[in-house]
Amino acid sequence: MSKTNISRRRLLTTAAALGGGAVFFGPWKHNRVYAAGTDKPIKIGITSDASGQYANSGASDRRGMGMAIAEFNDKGGVLGRKIETVHIDTETTPATGSRVAERMITREDAGFLIGAVSSGVANAISQVAQKYGVIYLNTNSSSPTESGKNCHRVKFVWDGNGSNFAQAAVKNAIEAYGDKWMLLTNDYGWGHDTANATKKLLAKYGGSVEDEILVPQGTRDFSSALLKLQQASPNVVAAAVGGDDQKAMRQQVAQLGMGQAPAWINNQQDWPDVYGLPIENLFGVFGTTWYYNLDLPGVDDFVKRYQAMYTDTKMRVPGNVFYNGYMATKNLLQAIERAGTTNNIAVIKQLEGHKMSAEERMQHHDAYIDPATHQVQQTIYLATANTGTKDSDDMFKILSNSAPEDVQDLGAQDSCKLESYEETATFDA
Amino acid sequence: MIQLLPHIFNGLTLGLLFALIALGFTLIVGVMEVINLAHGSLFALGAYFALTLIGVDPIADTAVGRWWLDQAIEIRYLTALVFAPLLAGLVGMILEICLRPTYGKAPLYGLLLTFGAALVIEEAIRVVWGSGEQYLQIPPAINGATIFLGTIFSKYKFFAAAFSALAVIGVWLFLEKTKYGAIIKAGAHDSEMVRALGYDLTKLRLFVFGFGAALAGLAGIIMVPIWGLRPHVGIDVVIPAFLIIALGGVGSFEGAIVASLLVGLAVGITGAYASAWSMMSMYILLILVLGFRARGLFGKASALEN
Repeated sequence: MSKTNISRRRLLTTAAALGGGAVFFGPWKHNRVYAAGTDKPIKIGITSDASGQYANSGASDRRGMGMAIAEFNDKGGVLGRKIETVHIDTETTPATGSRVAERMITREDAGFLIGAVSSGVANAISQVAQKYGVIYLNTNSSSPTESGKNCHRVKFVWDGNGSNFAQAAVKNAIEAYGDKWMLLTNDYGWGHDTANATKKLLAKYGGSVEDEILVPQGTRDFSSALLKLQQASPNVVAAAVGGDDQKAMRQQVAQLGMGQAPAWINNQQDWPDVYGLPIENLFGVFGTTWYYNLDLPGVDDFVKRYQAMYTDTKMRVPGNVFYNGYMATKNLLQAIERAGTTNNIAVIKQLEGHKMSAEERMQHHDAYIDPATHQVQQTIYLATANTGTKDSDDMFKILSNSAPEDVQDLGAQDSCKLESYEETATFDA
Repeated sequence: MIQLLPHIFNGLTLGLLFALIALGFTLIVGVMEVINLAHGSLFALGAYFALTLIGVDPIADTAVGRWWLDQAIEIRYLTALVFAPLLAGLVGMILEICLRPTYGKAPLYGLLLTFGAALVIEEAIRVVWGSGEQYLQIPPAINGATIFLGTIFSKYKFFAAAFSALAVIGVWLFLEKTKYGAIIKAGAHDSEMVRALGYDLTKLRLFVFGFGAALAGLAGIIMVPIWGLRPHVGIDVVIPAFLIIALGGVGSFEGAIVASLLVGLAVGITGAYASAWSMMSMYILLILVLGFRARGLFGKASALEN
């Protein structure tokens, strides 16, 4: 049996070291409280893609956040504190998303994170954000899993998802075009989730799935799939193909003149992906959450503010990606004001269940943040190509709008298990 | 079988397009033993040069620009088809000059340099042309659809496949039937001997790299009306090109062409019957071939094998 002698000096040194360490390495919430000062700017980490396949949408997303932040800073900031931002490119890569989120929180001292277009990146960021209790706004990724099985207490999802768009489209499309459907599905999470939502709705409303063509991610040649579609001649093709794959597909469908027959039901069409392209490249029916030419109060002014602020961008009018970036940021800053504190749990409680009027949202119906899934329940628009216009910006013709309760993703409520408040680290940003 | 025929035909046209993509890549690897990871960026650059030559920013608002836009699209397209690859070739020559210090050193240096060049070119494209999706105009005569084998095919795909076949034949004739082609092939086989015979190896390398880059640019112009045009479009090119030269046998022109057609057929037919495996099929093909014949279909046996 060995005997250990500890001298008084050693004991005091060890205690001092442990005490000092606790200040810097102790429970996270305490560190963050010490770091925050009432006159210190609120720091927001912008986690959007500046390279990779969503670079262009990422830029649009950032512009939306930038306009909201500029408007708040112009009136003195939030709670008397200016808002600062730091942006690091998430490269449309989940691994980079994790790394960026970790760095934003631990080294850049960001109190909030905003931005995503890719669901994979958003999921990666939100896992890190949840670990530290940092509120994260997923502005623009539309996989149902983001507010379903991958939901988190700190994450709020601002875009409509594949299930919302499918619900807005499927029943009407069966009635208008027929019940013989084929699915063209990107062979990864978002594609399968969206296709599954469509299949459930087809079963519910009496449609049939003749075949499903799985398209691997990274497909650039769709000729085999399009030949197969011709041979099967369905009434409707429901395409859940995203990103660059979708751009290549659209180009090839347009070249074949297959945009009109069969009828195409596409998922959401992000504005930056189509802006400036020939109108023939837009085909079928697709979803969106907002359009710059909606005849609603506030829209014109919003467009003018965008044009005044972003004089050098080639995109002369804002689209859905910009809109989501703007709305998410604005609502976060308003939630901080309502909470009267930057404490993350207090702000989360302000966001959960928060109602937003149609006027405030510049949409046709009131919206709210579902407290069970943290997804914004909002108006879903169906649109098609506006072929009759001479205005090259006015590319969409809005066909219909659906109220949030008619297109709600009920599956998300079953699969989303939010962490409790107690499980979520707390701090003041 | 009737159902399969359009897919076989589609696979062959796809194979010809792959051949065009791999052409410049195989030339540079074969002659210079440099794996040019900037091949995809040069592919994209060629398409962006064509975009400007056909008539969008920055020349559109000038008097010259307006005059140019008044010309028929056919003239502008043909001009772009000639001059845009030349511009990409010039960029390739600059890259070759940068590569010179790496000759004779470990291949990693060349790989790293061309990888860096790929990033620089892609970023330069973003700065000059923006990060958004662009559309390369094509003449109406080659746009639209046509019926063949009872199925709708894209006229442009026919044009692209025919153009690729002509480009392949043209490069083959150049390599096989001209003195310059003979020097290039000799350079690939034994560069020291070529130097000893009095040929300037430095100029030869400069020309080959420029020629390979121009072919990459040409492939870009032909492919982007099918794939779409965005700054990172070149990323989609490097892996199939690399796979094709490994499959065909490094340095073998014939091997690259046969491998391209095989890959096209594999992707086209798998796409019809097991679409989820269409991309994977080319990798399975590579594994199968290299498993039995490590040097590829037409690769020369190494000294160790003899």
